[in-house]
Order: sequence, then C-alpha cells, then structure tokens
Amino acid sequence: MRPNDVPLRRVTDFLSSMKLTLACLGLLMILVLACTLLQVPLGTHIAVERTIRSFLVWYTPDWSPVRLPVFPGGGLVGGVLLLNLLFAQFLKLERSRRKAGLWLAHLGLALLFIGEFSTALFQVESQMPVEVGQTKNYSEDTRQMELAVVDVTDPGKDTVTSIPESFLRPGAVIETPSLPFKLAVKRWYDNSDLGMRKPTDPPSEATAGVGPNLSISEAPIVTSDDAQNAAAALIEPVSGRDGLGTYWVSNALGAPQGFVREGRTWRLVLRPRRYYLPFSVTLKEFKHDIYPGTDIPKNFSSLVRLNDPSAGEDRDALIYMNHPLRYGGKTFYQASFGQNDQLSVFQVVRNPGWLIPYLSCILVALGLLLHFGTKLAVSLRKAA
Amino acid sequence: MKVLLPFVLLASLAACQKDRIEVREEPKEDAPAAALAPASRPSGVKWTAPAGWTEAPGNGMRVATLTPPPAAGKAEVTVIALPGDVGGELANVNRWRGQLALPPVGEADLPAARSELRSKLGALNLYDFTGTGTNKTRLVAGMLSVSGTTWFFKLMGDEKAVAAARPAFLKLLEGLHAS
Repeated sequence: MRPNDVPLRRVTDFLSSMKLTLACLGLLMILVLACTLLQVPLGTHIAVERTIRSFLVWYTPDWSPVRLPVFPGGGLVGGVLLLNLLFAQFLKLERSRRKAGLWLAHLGLALLFIGEFSTALFQVESQMPVEVGQTKNYSEDTRQMELAVVDVTDPGKDTVTSIPESFLRPGAVIETPSLPFKLAVKRWYDNSDLGMRKPTDPPSEATAGVGPNLSISEAPIVTSDDAQNAAAALIEPVSGRDGLGTYWVSNALGAPQGFVREGRTWRLVLRPRRYYLPFSVTLKEFKHDIYPGTDIPKNFSSLVRLNDPSAGEDRDALIYMNHPLRYGGKTFYQASFGQNDQLSVFQVVRNPGWLIPYLSCILVALGLLLHFGTKLAVSLRKAA
Repeated sequence: MKVLLPFVLLASLAACQKDRIEVREEPKEDAPAAALAPASRPSGVKWTAPAGWTEAPGNGMRVATLTPPPAAGKAEVTVIALPGDVGGELANVNRWRGQLALPPVGEADLPAARSELRSKLGALNLYDFTGTGTNKTRLVAGMLSVSGTTWFFKLMGDEKAVAAARPAFLKLLEGLHAS
C-alpha cells in the first residue's frame, strides 16, 4: 500500500466498520425513544419532524437566544448507516455465488433506507372531509396555509391564484402575472389570538375588511394533533402607487374579504392548503358499526364513488380500516368521522416511493432464504 | 462515489419540490363545501330562529345576523364564533360596556353582571346592559364555549326593541344544540 493511501484507507475502514453500525443503531434507538416521549408535548407530526426527519436535533435553552444542535437527527444517522452498509457491502462482502443471499439482503436493507429518505422528501399528507352525498376533488393540509386570491367576477367559475404560506413572510412583496396588483405582506403569524377590538385598544393596522374590528396578536403555535393554529397575515394589495386597503386574513375568520379593482371582484382568503385531484370522490354511505349493546366501535367504512372521466373510471370503492383506496398515485385512508356519522374524513397520502419498503422486505426475505437455504444444503450434503 | 448517487439523485429531485404559486380555475364554492372547512367556517352550534324573525348569513367573522320583527326601534342579533377564549370574560364584558359608553367593570363585578341560562349545549353566560342618555341602547349577550370555539350571541339595539325581542332571544339561546 502506498503511504498516501493510508488516510483514505482509514476513512473507508471507519465507514465500513461494524462499530459504526452498532453506534448508529444505538443512536437510532435513542432517537425513537426521544421521539415517542416528545409526542406527548409536541404531537406526532412535530416530534417526528424534529427528531426522525431532520439531520440534527435542535434545542433552544431558556438562557440562550440561539438554538443549539444537541443530537444527530434521523436523517444524519440514517444517511451514515446507509453509507456504512454500502461501504461494508462493496469493500468487505465477498463477491461470490455463495454470498448471493447476503448481497440480496443488504441491497434490500439499503432500499429500505432510500425508501425512508424518499418518504421524508416526497410524501404529502392531507385530509379530505366529505359529507354524505357530497363530491370533492381536492384535499387540504391543515398544517400549511395558502393565501387564495380569488377572481370571483365570472358567474360560472372562480380563478384562484394560490400562494403557499412560505411566500407570506413580513416584508415580502408578491408579484405574479395572474394578478394585476402586487401583494405586500406586512405581518405573518403562524398562530394568533383573535378577539374583538376594544375601544381602548390601539388603532388597528387593517384599513379594510373585518380587520378594523379585530384585535390580532401573535400566539405560540399549538402542537397537539387535534388542535389547529389560527394563522394570520396582514396583507396590502397595491396597484401602482395606490394601496387597495390593508386586510387581516386568517383561517379562523369566516367568509372571504375582498375589493373591486377595474371592474373585477377579488377575494382574499387564508385557508388550509389545497391539493386538487384530476378525479372526484363522492361519499355515498358512511357506516359506523358498534358491538351490540355497547358503544365500542367495531368498524368504520365509507362507500365512495370514484369518478375520473379522463381515465374512463367510474366505480364504487369501499374504504375501511387497513383497506385504503389507492388511485392516481394517492392513497385514501379512513381517518375520522363526525357530524352524527354524516361526515367521513379521509387521510390522503401521496408517496411516490410507497412500494419501496415492500420491495425491500421481499429482497431481504429472499436474500435470507437464499443464504440460509444454501447453508442448509451444504450442511445436508456434508451430513450425507 | 457510486454510493453517493442515491443521495445526489434524491437531493436533486427534492429541489424540484419547491413551493410555487399556482393559478387554477375552481367551481364556485357551494355552502355545504364551505361548511366543511373546520376552522374557516365554525360549526358545532345550531339554533332555530324564532317565528317571524329573519336570518341572513354572515360575512367576515360574523356567522349570521337575525332580525326580529319591526318593533319600537331597531334591534338585531349577531352571531360570532372565534377560536379560543377571545380575551376572556372580563375583556368581552368591558368591550360590550364600551359599545354602550358604560365604564368598565372589574373582575369582582362579574358575578353580579352575569346570569346563567341552560341550553342543550350546556350552561351559557348571559349579560344584560343598558346605556345611558335619552335614547338608550340595550345589549343582551350570551357567551358559550364549544370545542375550543367561543360563540357570541348578541342582541343589541334600541332599548324598547330589545326588551320586546328579549324573550324570543332567550328561547333561541335555550334551544342551541349541536350541529
């Protein structure tokens, strides 16, 4: 070996070592435990985002204005584990038919990691509440907002410019070809306390819509799974040098507010982010069965009509626990219900990599069968 | 470097997932669809308008407006629903008193200002204030908390018109039920 290869060799030895595997598995166990415990104060979604689906776990102590990295996150540990697996496989595992089973099993494991990265990056979860008899062609993400600027002039349809909440940062000026005006974002609150403005309150920053009657202040975000933030934004549409009023918009406010500009009527609505589908779902029937003589739920099921004219699809589908409807790259799970069993709520999941874990499990199982099958065959031959 | 390929591929694909402004055409929103958005259209409380009263859908933060039959003067009922406790009881009581140009009260005065009414959704706090002056304005307000949302039912108007509408308004409050 040439001397200048030594540092590289040390790195590859480290990356392919069993010690690194064990350290990573230990860190993952700690992360899973921490995530489980954090779900109590933070709720499932935030706990998973902060521990498992991050590269570093951050913490802001009471005495520090700066957040500090305190632990490697699931993304980092998983990434190192994947590198460790690949390095060990390519550098240490014998390339022979005898080891074909182990190659297959390792490939399956690597796919499992890649599948989790794919889920973290590309999975989109949303909800679709549908009343019995109602047809819907969109789902909503209640954890993310969108500012819908709606041209309602046409009596037959609305033209919606949907601006994701990531654009709504204080000081931002949003300009887009679909709008004949700019939108100046004056304030953004992830969560807010809304109240009626008292005579003793300072003047409202809003000059139009319902805002002048409201008092709105920033509030800590809510994290539990059954609570929803009341996001709020102070928006001023501006055309040339003319301000068109300043509006408080919030998903906690009722009917939309708006203005008329050059003969067209505009509405401003802050609402849960919508994902439109190229097909529609009609809830025909919702069943909530209980065990006789008790209130204990036995089964929830939703009978829906799936209609996709572009694909010539028009059929019924039954959605119930552990039996989702998969269509058009989306999976519809039975998630909740309400309004005296007249409302069914589906969890709609788009995950382009949903097949990867299944493929990975098949590969690992086949690999282990092949490996131990080969060993058994060798032992039997020796015994004979 | 081959081992880094999956990461590079995933990172490049992730870059394509950036948020962007979208323009699309949507059908006009119908009322039932609007009623489904839990936070944007408060639901959970229903009422029956007294005979002879008219009811109009609200706008902005107002859920509905009810108008009693014409009497001596003007009066109307507004229904407003807002998340949380909306500043608490004292802040709201003083806001109403401010609307009648009455001086604010303290926490210790609240029990005297409050009476209780039973509805199908539980106990409801009721307040009744009358302004000063020749043409007095009166306000009767009911406050109810349902699933984290505070509902305000406020009958306000000329003193005589409010007095005439009050019994029917209290019946409406007693009849509040889950939607």
